[in-house]
Amino acid sequence: MRRIARAFLAYLRAHVGVMLHYRGEILLWSMWGIINPAVLYAMWSSAAAGSGGGTIAGLDVRGIAAYYFGIMIVGHLTASWDVHQMGYNIRSGNLSPLLLRPLLPLWKSLSENVAYKVTTLVFVVPMWGLFAWLVHPRFEATAWQLALGLVALALAAALNFILSYTVSLIAFWATKLDAMGEIYFGLGMFLGGRLAPLDALPPPLLAAAKVLPFRWIFAFPTELLMGKTPGMTEALAGIAIQLIWFGSVVVVFRFFWNAAVKRYTAVSG
Amino acid sequence: MPQIEIDDLSKTFSVAEREGGFRASVLSVFRRRFRKVSAVDRVSFNVEAGEIVGFLGPNGAGKTTTLKMLAGLLHPTAGSVQVMGHVPWHREPDYLRKISMLMGQRSQMHWDLPALDSFLVHGAVYDIDKAAYKQTLDELVELLDLGNVLKKQVRTLSLGERMKCEICISLLHRPAVLFLDEPTIGVDITMQARIRRFITDYNRKHGATIILTSHYMADVTALCQRIIIIDHGHILFDGSLEALSERLAPFKVIKIDLDRELDGYDLASMGEVLSINHRKVELRVPKHQAAAVTSRLLTDLPVLDLTIEDPPIEDVIATVFKQPRADPVAKADTASPTEGSVSK
Repeated sequence: MRRIARAFLAYLRAHVGVMLHYRGEILLWSMWGIINPAVLYAMWSSAAAGSGGGTIAGLDVRGIAAYYFGIMIVGHLTASWDVHQMGYNIRSGNLSPLLLRPLLPLWKSLSENVAYKVTTLVFVVPMWGLFAWLVHPRFEATAWQLALGLVALALAAALNFILSYTVSLIAFWATKLDAMGEIYFGLGMFLGGRLAPLDALPPPLLAAAKVLPFRWIFAFPTELLMGKTPGMTEALAGIAIQLIWFGSVVVVFRFFWNAAVKRYTAVSG
Repeated sequence: MPQIEIDDLSKTFSVAEREGGFRASVLSVFRRRFRKVSAVDRVSFNVEAGEIVGFLGPNGAGKTTTLKMLAGLLHPTAGSVQVMGHVPWHREPDYLRKISMLMGQRSQMHWDLPALDSFLVHGAVYDIDKAAYKQTLDELVELLDLGNVLKKQVRTLSLGERMKCEICISLLHRPAVLFLDEPTIGVDITMQARIRRFITDYNRKHGATIILTSHYMADVTALCQRIIIIDHGHILFDGSLEALSERLAPFKVIKIDLDRELDGYDLASMGEVLSINHRKVELRVPKHQAAAVTSRLLTDLPVLDLTIEDPPIEDVIATVFKQPRADPVAKADTASPTEGSVSK
């Protein structure tokens, strides 16, 4: 574990160095992370204002502002992109040097992921502040909801990372995985509550969302942080489900990884 | 006991293929054809600790596939390998810490950072003690003359500079076994010579075992006490360069400088005339006739200078590839293989 921690920190420092080198690029990515939920907020708040009761999925305009403010933060801090990246790494042969190292390549990806989130805070925190100042979100979270919300957020980030990485291993069989990356992103948008609050989904989609992990990555921590989750029992049950999902995916990853490496054909180098 | 033991190692790839053109492209959607390609076919050999072995063959012969299996990157289809007591494709961290594979066409460096940052990450990933890291890095920087390169962004380095950095990073953890896949590819002659000297020094100083592939015969002649020639996945020869020349080059090349132009002298009766350029002549003669032909040339012609040489190693190796598959040269060489080597 000490060896992994040392390597992880070294990777993290190097990746922060890379991020700092490409400041313009990460500024644009940060803006994308703001624009997407901001547009959805504008859309749903207009719909709520125009509806008879002034609400959508039980949220009024300031409630929708709080929801999308939360989705903005949760979406950024749980972002994971290995499912888009792995196919390229295999096709280009870039994975080979990583497989020669006495460390799972997953740790390098994790350090890249953390480096991105840490470095972009410089840009996104002021943008989050500007968004909140403009839309006046209404927060009703108590101290315990905030505390458990932060735990849920950390677990959501871990779950999305390992899930995305595990799905990315399909690239060892299919090699070109770009479409899978888009499907994974789309599922998170629809069934994770990013496109619309889950209560606004039609019943079949809501039923699908309940059995898939995406709501535990996006909607659950967002609702907990904005104070929408009613009781502590419900909050703790949600965290337990996150843990079960995380543990299960780790087991699947271990099994899948061994099969994937055995399958690796070191394409083009 | 050999440090590397390879027994009946095979690797078969399944490769999709189709005819060219739009129609074939559409048909392949419904009926995809795969062909089994045997990249490595029942290869067996051993390597002793401290040996430098040249692994030669044309493109697609199976060299890199074999190295990748030895480094644990590829699982074989059949056969067994033990390197320092480890099965490479089990990919135990203890094994990966003891080896290094340098792929000339594949970078281990962070392109966007100075080389020094990649070295620091490497030191941490291999958990190298800080004092040992500093000592090794200082030594490598001096030997490879990397002083003015370390702080430059890797993407801005010349190919030669980058190769030196790749060598440096490959050796930072002092691997006991090195797999070098075309370590001098693309670099100029001066840099090639420098890299060769460095590899020799590393082998001598640390007793490292080295298997290298290269298309540059100068690499092979300068570095390797032993060569293994592979083609179509089969080993064709395993032994020393001298043994290879002895077996496959039963001729000598005689080069003469003359005092005046040839005047109707029948050189062709002496042997195969390779070239006549003003007063310089090159003749290829059977090895057993070399002394007699030399004597006649010296008697008959106004010779200023004369040398007798073995043919270039490229020509000798090309001869290996022309041998019928059923009659591999390795069989002819079993009388004097390098100690510990077995050819099949």
